Amino acid sequence: MTDREIDEALERIAQTPHELESALLGRIADSIKSSLRPVRPLLPTWILACGLALICVAVALAGAARAGFYGIEKMGLLQRALIFPMLGILVWVAGTEFVNEMIPGSRRRLSPGALLAMASVVLVGVFALLFRDYRTEHFISAGIVCLLTGLLHAVPAALLCWLVLRRGFAVNSVHAALVAGTLAGMAGVGVLELHCANFQALHVLVWHTAVVPLSGAAGALVAWALRLRIGSSGRERRVPQ
Amino acid sequence: MARYQEGDFAAATVLIEGISPQLHRFFVAQFASRTDADDLLQETWLRIHRVRHTYRPGEPVLPWFYAIARHVRVDHYRKTMRTRAHEQRLEGISAAAATASGKSGQADDLGDLLAPLPESQREVVEMLKVAGMSLEEVARATSSSVGSVKQKVHRAYRKLRETMNAMGSGKGQGGRQS
Repeated sequence: MTDREIDEALERIAQTPHELESALLGRIADSIKSSLRPVRPLLPTWILACGLALICVAVALAGAARAGFYGIEKMGLLQRALIFPMLGILVWVAGTEFVNEMIPGSRRRLSPGALLAMASVVLVGVFALLFRDYRTEHFISAGIVCLLTGLLHAVPAALLCWLVLRRGFAVNSVHAALVAGTLAGMAGVGVLELHCANFQALHVLVWHTAVVPLSGAAGALVAWALRLRIGSSGRERRVPQ
Repeated sequence: MARYQEGDFAAATVLIEGISPQLHRFFVAQFASRTDADDLLQETWLRIHRVRHTYRPGEPVLPWFYAIARHVRVDHYRKTMRTRAHEQRLEGISAAAATASGKSGQADDLGDLLAPLPESQREVVEMLKVAGMSLEEVARATSSSVGSVKQKVHRAYRKLRETMNAMGSGKGQGGRQS
């Protein structure tokens, strides 16, 4: 059998009408009739992505304003010129992907896993390029403080981003939460870059970067647990017969 | 679709009549029995109705419908698996007959033809060759890339060729399995 024959067989099937009972179609139409009201379509992707980016910037600035802008004050011009635009681009990419995850049938440029990997690799690459102090003083203790600070700021960022897209519909909630976590992690890294004046290369490479994958993983885990919980509650909706 | 979003019942009815056969065939092709496909179709329309604001005028409409239909099918599959596991725990016997796995009662040519394929390849072939969607639309509906869709179709065709040739059922039947 050749590809052409398979094509022909599928074409024949496609041309065969697939009849449905009119009673079934009638039941479906009746079921939506009572709740058929005008709805406002979601805003365009770029507007929603702008909203998400603004939230991340606001959370990062608010966090740093509370803790102090020691990091950005200590940075040189090159570090400022590379780190913050890079974070801005990553936030924009992650924000756009999050919007796409929340709208069925959207075009996906990156899978959630690829987005997380790309963001982590870019952060590691830029940090490795810019920070050359290879001492490891207080590596664990200072690192855990930074990691917790980043993650704690990722939580409100994730919640606010979810609020912006609450009218969306994730066909895969775990994927959507993974992307939301990655995006929120970027806000956490923003706080750390503005605030943390510890420029030891390994500290920045390990603990600052770790905020993004951990935040993404936490998001996916929460969504997975919620899906299990909702699933086990056995919610089921059917059109009345 | 825009008129449906504006609350026009006539437009909603036209959509239901136009899209439902395609979605129903999609479910049947995924090994659902006709009864299960009816249920899945109703569930899909409830979901579509609830999230109709997520469709944005100007965007391709079929990927939006199929993305939601896939979501409903996956939900149904998970529910079936949970029910089956629960019944097996309770009864300590094989619950295969009691769980309505959806594999029974399938008597559709499309289901028969695509039977050798795994689910991910089957849905892609169905959307591309039967529903007449473009590669880009299938990629949108399945939340994947165009490259990944092409790869799945290529593998599906190879598998179909191998299966049909092995079964020697290619002669004049257009590749249908018995």
